[in-house]
This record gives sequence, C-alpha cells and structure tokens, in this order.
Amino acid sequence: MLSKKKLAAALFISSMSGLTFAESVAITNANLYTGATPAVLEGATIVFEDGKISAINPDTLNADTVIDGTGKIVTPGLIGSINALGLVEVGAVADTRDSGTEKGSITFNPSLAFNPESTLLPLARKGGVTSDIIVSSAESNDFAGAATLVSTSSSLDFTTTEVAVITYLHGEEKGSRASKIQELDDALSKQQEKLTKKDDKEGDKAKSPSESEKKLTAMLEGKLPLIVATERPADILQMLALKAKYNLKLIIAGASGAVAVTDKLVEADVPVIISATHDLPESFDELYAALDNASVLASKGVKIAITVAGDSSHNLHQLRFEAGNAVAHGLDYQTAIRAITSNLADFFALESKGSLEVGKDADLVVWSGDPLEFSSRVESIWIAGEQQSTITRQDKLRDRYLNTQQSDLPPGYRK
Amino acid sequence: MRLSYFLSGLGLCVALAGCGSESSHPSKISVNKNPFPSTYQHLPRSSSLLIQNATVLTGTGERLEESDVLIVDGKISQVGKDLPTDGATIIDAKGKWVTPGIIDVHSHLGAYPTPAVESHQDGNEITSPNTAEVWVEHSVWPQDPGFNTARAGGITSLQILPGSANLFGGRGVVLKNVPAFTVQQMKFPEAPYSLKMACGENPKRVYGSRQQAPGSRMGNMAGFRAAWAKAVEYKANWEDFENGLISERPERDLELDTLVGVLNGEIRIHNHCYKAEEMAMMIDMAKEFGYDAGTFHHAVEAYKIADLLAENGNCAAMWPDWWGFKMEAYDMILENIAVVDAPKNSCSIVHSDSENTIQRLNQEAAKVMYRANENSFDIKDEDAIRWITYNAAKALGLENKTGSLKTGLNADVVIWNHSPFSVYALAEQVFIDGAKVYDRADSTYQAVSDFKLGQATITTSEKGGE
Repeated sequence: MLSKKKLAAALFISSMSGLTFAESVAITNANLYTGATPAVLEGATIVFEDGKISAINPDTLNADTVIDGTGKIVTPGLIGSINALGLVEVGAVADTRDSGTEKGSITFNPSLAFNPESTLLPLARKGGVTSDIIVSSAESNDFAGAATLVSTSSSLDFTTTEVAVITYLHGEEKGSRASKIQELDDALSKQQEKLTKKDDKEGDKAKSPSESEKKLTAMLEGKLPLIVATERPADILQMLALKAKYNLKLIIAGASGAVAVTDKLVEADVPVIISATHDLPESFDELYAALDNASVLASKGVKIAITVAGDSSHNLHQLRFEAGNAVAHGLDYQTAIRAITSNLADFFALESKGSLEVGKDADLVVWSGDPLEFSSRVESIWIAGEQQSTITRQDKLRDRYLNTQQSDLPPGYRK
Repeated sequence: MRLSYFLSGLGLCVALAGCGSESSHPSKISVNKNPFPSTYQHLPRSSSLLIQNATVLTGTGERLEESDVLIVDGKISQVGKDLPTDGATIIDAKGKWVTPGIIDVHSHLGAYPTPAVESHQDGNEITSPNTAEVWVEHSVWPQDPGFNTARAGGITSLQILPGSANLFGGRGVVLKNVPAFTVQQMKFPEAPYSLKMACGENPKRVYGSRQQAPGSRMGNMAGFRAAWAKAVEYKANWEDFENGLISERPERDLELDTLVGVLNGEIRIHNHCYKAEEMAMMIDMAKEFGYDAGTFHHAVEAYKIADLLAENGNCAAMWPDWWGFKMEAYDMILENIAVVDAPKNSCSIVHSDSENTIQRLNQEAAKVMYRANENSFDIKDEDAIRWITYNAAKALGLENKTGSLKTGLNADVVIWNHSPFSVYALAEQVFIDGAKVYDRADSTYQAVSDFKLGQATITTSEKGGE
C-alpha cells in the first residue's frame, strides 16, 4: 500500500511547511465562503496584512506573498464552542484537568489555566479551527463560571477574552432542577434590587461591587451573555422566562428540545448551539434529539451554531464534519458554514471574528476541496495573519513508526 | 448423553435441538451449550430482488460500476452487469452505491442503552475481576432506540460485548439488527460466542481502588494467567472423567465453562487492549495456554505492532480518531487503521463502541482512508469498505455468512445515495437476509422502539417538511 514515491513527496511538503510571516499575503482566484453576505465569492482575491483582512478583490494586486488559490476554497477560521480545549490534556489524568471545580461560581474562570501548548491545539488547527469558546464544567453550581474565547495558536504570547457565563440545567441526581432555576432567579433578582436601591440613594457612597456583583450587573445590562446548557423544551421555556424578566442576553446550548419551541426562540431572539449528530435520548431530557434538528431549527428561523458532540475538546478537529452531517440531513450548505464561523461571532459579539470581510482578523483557512467533506484537508491556516503549523504529535508518532526517515535504528531514535 | 462439551469432535452435542435427555447414568450431566437459542426469522421479503445499475463495493476488494445485485430467497445470487430481471422485484439504483450490510464488532447497544438511566446500566458485572460466567445477552434490552438509529446507518449485524472493567467481562453475542422484543429474536443463528477480555487501565483502576487485585498491569497479567491455568486444569479434569480415568465428577463451573470454550476454539476472544506492549503480551499468553488471542479492540497503538498482528493472524478493531480520554489512548494516530491494514494477512476493522458513531461507521472509515492517502497510502473505496464489512465478519467468525456480496451469503445489503465515504452519504434502504428492514423514504420501514412510542415528539409536518 505504501508507495515510496508518494512518501518522498509527503516529506518534501512537510519540510516546506514551516511558519512564515509575511508583511502582506494575497490568495488569488479562490472561492471564498465568506460567512457573510454574499456567502460565496467565486474566483476572488483576498489580501491580509498586519493580522487583518485588508482587501477583497482589490483593483490592483499588491502583496509580498501571492498564493494561487485556483480550485481552492477559503473559509474564515472555524470557531469551536462549549468545550475544554487547553484545559485538559488527558481526560482520566486528574492533574491535567482544569475546566471544573467543586466551588464553581459566577466568578470561576477556568481560562486562567488555559495551556496553549496542549497537544490538542495542533489537532484542532488540522481541522481548520482557529478560535474556540472554552467553558467551565462546574455543573453543580448555580452559575458554573466563565466562557472564554481562546485562539488555537500554540503561542505562549496569547490572550483570552471572557465572553459569557455558563450554567447547566438538567435532571439532578439529588434534588431538583427547580432549585437551580430558583437560584439563578434569586441571584439576578437580588442584584437588580441592589442596582435599583443604588439608584434611589444617589449621592450615597455606594460600596464598591464584588466581582460576582459586577458579573450579574453585566448580565442584567445585556453586556454579558448567559449560556444555558439544557435540553428539555420546558426547561428552555423557563430560561426564556428568565431572559424576559431580566432582559438577559441568552444562548441555549445542547438544545435538542429547541425544535419544539422554535416560535418562542425566534420571538425572543435566542440562538442555540447544537450538535448535528445528537439523535438519541441519552436522558429523559433529550427525547427530541434528531439528526435533522439543525435543519429544522434553521428553517424555522432560529439562529444556530454547531458544536462537536461528546468530547469536543479532543475531537474539535471534527467540527467541519458535524456541519457536513447537518447538511446531509437538510441544512443549507452556507448556513452550515455560518454555523461554525460567523454565527458564533454574532452570538458572542466577537466583532473581529468569523467572516471574510475587510477589517476582520486574518483567521482563515485554505482548503483543498469542500471543507465539510472527509476528502478535503487544510492546506494553509492563518491566525491573526500568522501562518500556523498543522503538524501534530500524532503526525510525529505516525512518521516514527512508518519509519519515514528509513532509519536502521529502533523507533526511539527517530524524531 | 455424554458430557462431550470439552471434547471437540467426539459426538458433540451442540444442543441446537433435541439432545439432553437420553442419559440416565447418574454420574453424567447434560450440558446444553445453546440454552437460549436464536428464534430469529427474516422479515417479509420478495423471493427475488434485483438491485440495478449501482456502483457496487463487494466487501472483497472489488468495485463494479453500473452493476446489479440479484438476491434470491434471502441470499446473494449474483453480482454483475445486466442480470436477468425475470420475476424479480426491481430497485433502480442508478447513481447510487451498494455495499454489504455494515457490521460493528464492538457495541454495547441494549446493555448500555439510551436513555442511560441507572436502571439500564447492565453492561458490566463489576463485582469481580473474572466474570467469564456472565453472558451479555442476558442484559440486552431489545427496545434500545439505538438499534433503530444504527439500522438507519446501515448496520445489519453487531456484536454486543460486556464492558471492560474486568479482566474477563463475560460472553458477547452477535445480533442481527432487526426490530424485536426478545433477544433470541435478534441472535445471529450459529454465530460463535465471544469472550470479552480487558487489558490495561480499567481492571487495575476498578479493582485496585477497592484494595483488591489487580491493582497494576502485572496484577492484570497474573489474574489472566491464574484463570487460564485453572481452566486448563478444569478441562483436563472433565476429560479424565469422560475417559473414565477418574470416577468423581468435577463440579460444573460456569466461569470455567466459558474459558474452556475458548481453549477448545469454540468461543472467540475479543480483547479490549490499547497498548502495543500489552497486545504483544496477550499474544504470548495465548500461546502459553494454547488458545487464539483473537481480536484486539480499541488498539490505539496497533500501528506500532502492525506486523506482529498480521503475522499472528490477529484482527484489530479501532476508532479512527478517538483519543486522549486516558493515558492508554494518548498515542492515537489518524492513520492507525490503514497502517494495521497494510501488511499481508492483516485484518483491520473500524469499530464504534458508541451508540452514536455506530450510525456512521462509513464516515469513520472515510476519515481513515482520506487521512492515510494524504500520507503516502493509496487506499481505494473498495479496500476501505472491508474495514466495516468483510474484516468485521471475519473477526466474528461469520465471513461465510455475511460481510460481503459473495454468492450464497446472506443478503445483508445497503443502498446508499452517494459514495458511503462522503459526509453527505445516507443509507437509503437496508436489507437483512434479503428483507427490507429500513427505508429512508418510507416510514413503514422505520421502526420505533417501545420507549419512544407515545413520547413527546414533533411530526414531519411540524418540521415543515415532506
């Protein structure tokens, strides 16, 4: 099966794919799936410079590096969500896990433990993912903690941005989910009361607010979205009621039951983040799970984003295939592209992310073919204009055991 | 009846029917080796069915364009161009693809069903490191909605295995994926039994944390070897008794019955084992006690010992890309299945171990094929399909019944709307023994489990479709 000639070609390519950073880069004559309007620009040229997209179809081409994009597809970097990328290395190794804590709270911020050098990140890049929303998994608390935007670049020169608070609402092993709903309501109600009193006593020396009070205030002001990971239609309705009461910016994740309350979601302008391959009732909360949910939600006007089912940290590279499955089950193709790019930027107010438009971050991917198909692969990937390696630890192991260096020494010597 | 359980070839009574009451000798007992026999019956079918003009992947390495598959009385009769239509029910499959029914060698459907409530957690008898006496078929809930979703993904046969907490988890069972309300109705007639073993982290963690053996990998090995040594002894005792060398009848032991079934080559080993060094030891241990090391499951590091596996005739059943959930799954490579497939006499399989990915084993195989071809392999559709059909059947000892489109085999067949290696591919029609068990376009052929019946749901018209 192994052909020596092909092997040599593969080696040549990988030795050429070191990091490069040019002043300005143009990709010419490519098909751009923009994640914006218009959704597709055929035979287009896109230029980026200083980390930003500087031109699309400029009158004159002026770039330090020009890449022929003929026959290629360019998309915005994909955006993952609702996982623990960089917060876990090996699931069962407790001291490599940082996404959860028993003492979760609205102020718990697991991204302080984000490790850009995790081996999970290059694999995510191999799947075209450039950004990710990582979340607290401290499920048992009223608010579990922060949701944070991270880059999949392995650079230690990194920033993280808190973009939301997350909570989990589902059947409880002990007690009732009703308590959780009451706790959320109580916390918001108390803070609203404090803010009202503060207004009444204008001029009084107000006590400086605690961190958790600041977060609650930001939520009440609609500046900090609340993600609720929940499935059952009735629970989604409870959260819509909470949103209405406090004027929250709400995002429902999981959301298999969303298909039963589409009108209410549309009316309240609440988007959902779903997996496109979730079709079994893992619990009594998930009776509506179905492969065509993404398609049904979108056709009813609900804004959707797609995430990876199961362990979406280690498997984040499969995000594009999740979107492909949604298309197989009826979702419009360009809606699927937006569901893994610009819609997430929209939900989380990531103003510089998610689309191929002038002024946005130069997070982009050149694909060998249809990005949602197994047959395509990432040819080049940039994050904020910086070209990224897609060589993974897995690639190194493969080459070691296939003995691509044709060494006479045991595998342990091949690096 | 003689107690010939352990004496292959000596008037063996496999108790498929009618044996068990001949003897009145007080010192003999009767062992029924098939006490829960299959009552499977094929679903209604045409006596002759012709699928025309499809791209056919045979499961045996061939790809035939614009070809027909003729099914007569539930068996594959012929595959080729322009087959005679006389009297046959005809399906025009122009532009579509036909493959053998997909087989998953590693499933827990029914035993760990959905909903995954505590009352349903019946897949593993986690009370002793050796529970070779348990049979997973006794835990299977036929109403698991996962059987239906797997069928919609083209799964026609599947092996249900016990979980991996124990060194010996118990017997597995092969099922035909037909809607049923007893397990016996699903049991694949004449399929050999299997025995689940488990290396590595799980047994030592589960029992070590209870301050019980095994608490280490060497403890695992000691536990395995002690059990096999006892089984060898048990087998010899029964043989001595049968041959009149000893007068006292040995006490029957259900745990050892299963292990002796392995020693006799009647029960096949399916071994949860991730790491290269552990698989190599399992191969040696099998030689030590004289049995076949069987199929390695998960085998995340199989690529490190691909030649050893092929030389020794072991199958390996793997995921394309699951990794990192524990240390023994850390060294995943995306091309593992292709590397294991490369040597001569290899037997590389894509498995699911998941109620979710069992629905998309075709996609799981596709990932491997394309990633491998980006890295110096040259794998074709007709090669990759073997990982989820023929090779899987071989691991189950069923390659002469299912897993390919060879003449005379059971007509377990899937019609796909696209190449099964496309993300957009959907199984349109699924046949088991020539009977239609699923049709994407006809709700008559879409079974719904008792559990889902009468539950909240949205209708097709509410979805705004069709």
